[in-house]
Amino acid sequence: MSVATRPITVALIGNPNTGKSTLFNALSGLRQRVGNYPGVTVEKKIGRTEFHGRQFTVVDLPGTYSLAPRSPDEMVAVDVLLGRRNDVEPIDVVLCIVDASNLERNLYLVSQVLELGLPTVVALNMTDVAEGKGLALDVDRLRKQLPVRIVPVQANRGTGLAELKKQLAAAAESPVPSVPSPFPEAFQQEVEQLGRRSSSNGHVDPKTPLPRYLLERLLLDTSGYLASSGLDTIDEPLLGEVRDARSRLANAGLPVPAIEAIARYQWAGSVLTGVVTRPAQRKATLTDRIDRVLTHRVWGALVFLCVMLLLFLAVYYVPDITRASATIDWLMELASAGVVRVVPEGALRSLLITGIVGGVGGVVVFLPQIFTLFFFIAVLEDCGYMARAAYLMDKLMSRIGLSGKSFIPLLSSFACAVPAIMATRVIENRRDRLVTILVAPLMSCSARLPVYTLLIAAFIPNLTIGSGWFAVPWLHALTLFAMYALTIVAGVAAAWVFKKTLFRGPTPPFVMELPSYKLPGLGVVLHRMFEQGWAFVYRAGTLILAVSILVWALAYYPRDATRIDAALLVRQAELQQQLDATPAADRDSLPAAVQLAAIDNHIAAAHLENSYLGRMGKAIEPAVRPLGWDWRIGCAAIASFPAREVVVATLGVIYNLGEGQDEGSDALQDTLRAATWAGTDRPVFNVPVALSIMVFFALCAQCASTLAVMRRETGTWRWPALTFVYMTTLAYVAALVTYQVGMWIGS
Amino acid sequence: MHELVPLPLLRPGQRASIDQLLGRDDDVHRLQELGMRIGSTVEMLQSGSPCIVNLDGTRLCFRACDATSVLVRLGEVACPGEVA
Repeated sequence: MSVATRPITVALIGNPNTGKSTLFNALSGLRQRVGNYPGVTVEKKIGRTEFHGRQFTVVDLPGTYSLAPRSPDEMVAVDVLLGRRNDVEPIDVVLCIVDASNLERNLYLVSQVLELGLPTVVALNMTDVAEGKGLALDVDRLRKQLPVRIVPVQANRGTGLAELKKQLAAAAESPVPSVPSPFPEAFQQEVEQLGRRSSSNGHVDPKTPLPRYLLERLLLDTSGYLASSGLDTIDEPLLGEVRDARSRLANAGLPVPAIEAIARYQWAGSVLTGVVTRPAQRKATLTDRIDRVLTHRVWGALVFLCVMLLLFLAVYYVPDITRASATIDWLMELASAGVVRVVPEGALRSLLITGIVGGVGGVVVFLPQIFTLFFFIAVLEDCGYMARAAYLMDKLMSRIGLSGKSFIPLLSSFACAVPAIMATRVIENRRDRLVTILVAPLMSCSARLPVYTLLIAAFIPNLTIGSGWFAVPWLHALTLFAMYALTIVAGVAAAWVFKKTLFRGPTPPFVMELPSYKLPGLGVVLHRMFEQGWAFVYRAGTLILAVSILVWALAYYPRDATRIDAALLVRQAELQQQLDATPAADRDSLPAAVQLAAIDNHIAAAHLENSYLGRMGKAIEPAVRPLGWDWRIGCAAIASFPAREVVVATLGVIYNLGEGQDEGSDALQDTLRAATWAGTDRPVFNVPVALSIMVFFALCAQCASTLAVMRRETGTWRWPALTFVYMTTLAYVAALVTYQVGMWIGS
Repeated sequence: MHELVPLPLLRPGQRASIDQLLGRDDDVHRLQELGMRIGSTVEMLQSGSPCIVNLDGTRLCFRACDATSVLVRLGEVACPGEVA
């Protein structure tokens, strides 16, 4: 296809906080696809747009201050721009968005982009912010001194887009204007010499020599990433050349890598000569005034606490107030009822109701919480507060060897670890990011709440202060608080240990930009909320479905009717006949119906006892006895490994109540209280047992979605495996100590 | 000649120019990419560790580490820059 008809592929790049995502959304609207580049954690966002019949494909690259790859994630952008990735079309035009209020730093990236030799268009964004800061810009002069197409835009209002697309199309079809290298002559010569060396070393395919830009990076990269990145054109003789070139340059007064900053900022300074007029004295902006409060030692901390409290309240109450959770429950009941009507009793019905509706439902019920959390996080992020929160928490986080950037993911973890692990992408330090990922699942997520609620209501004495409406159930509240506190303490300890052992190493300096405050854009916020929400549904949903079918099968098969007490089956058939003989409307009130339900539950429990899951529970009983558990609790714990929220339903089945129990169910609480050890009248549950179960569920890695997302984000099974082992061990030991100490105090 | 002090020691409202970036080449390079370069003016907004500085109109939150430090040269000391 000729250039005139095929879509123009545009790569969008820019510094963080320049409005890049806003521009991307403004350009492509809803026509975008989000995926992942294989093997790295970089999101692959591709949007489509058109202008006067011309089609554009826009590839959104991650926000960056520099095009200097020092990790596989940073390499993605360079590879996309150089056309070295098979999964992205070669780039026709680079669209570089710059913040007009800080041109000098933004031009650093522009100068790197210009060296790629691709047609480039610069979108000059945030001119209003620049004016607010008292800066005056002479755009015409900038156009003269920077020979690329420059288009002023207002990404948040969508102005300048038509002109931008026109210039993109024009740039794609025009020859690339040559921009002189910002580096001194001696440096350029060294790069050229390296190029000759690399293409002349025999075993390299002459068709794919290392691009000039990568050669230059190889010379400048002192982090050692490129040298060991496994590019087959980089070999030991070439690295020797690089070392020699560096020492020659150092002798000539051009030390690597300092020369890059010197050369590029010098270039930026010359391009900006006479372009920017600064006010004689810096004008205090609205952001400065807001920051005086929000980053204040005392007021800032208070506001922060209030914001966090509101966030938590919202996550718990918004799904309630909007009836979203209730609606989802209702839909699930409807689906189950529909299945009962259409599918006859048997394995298929059980699979559909327990395995699929129950399994998928286990994920879907958390959607309102997750969407609410994402909504508020998107608002806080878009208005600029998130960076302040990271600043305020940095002091605390640095004590355990992390930085303020780990705080938000860890906080999100209290709602759900899956989005929290996805949110660790903002942490660019690899060690910090991995530690955050490893401890995030320890934080007490909302799926633990049903377990706490059920066991606290059933077994912790309800001591109150005050009376009537003002009766405060302090012991219940204290127990709940203790569970949350336990997970925080465990998380802090685990992070500290990881930082001291597996992830030891020098702490790099922590630098973070605090963007100017602005009103959050509803479009951006909703967009981010749905994007991340659906990513969660898709990624977690597929795995949860598979695992819940597996657990269902373990709990259902081998379904051996000969192992069920024959008398029960006879009585069940009799009662069924009686019921069938009465008119449908009166059935529920008959004593026979109640009896039948009880017998059905007995049979279900007997089936469970004989199922593979029941046998597993019996097999591990010796291991869980020191925790005060019987085989049935063991079963519930095993069944909860895919998703801990199923424990309440499983306990319902195991203790002869049938499915569909929820944590508020009085019947389930009564049954648990009445449960005894097989063949004795000694109750299974007492306070230490209940506490030991709660502690176990608080600390154990019982969430397949979390482990799957961890695998996705880290690219290896090593970290999910480590998490599973360390959390499960921790949970077992802590539950053991809880029970044994509890019994010792009680005796 | 004005005295040379580590950046975090500036008092709120104090301005200075960056004189030296010390530390591992790689860390220094990252600081430079974020806009910290020799000769540019910083104004302390919130002192302490981490501190918040204004660097050419950008607010940066910065925590030095054992191995890296930013030395600044005190110049003219301005009041927290509010235009009357």
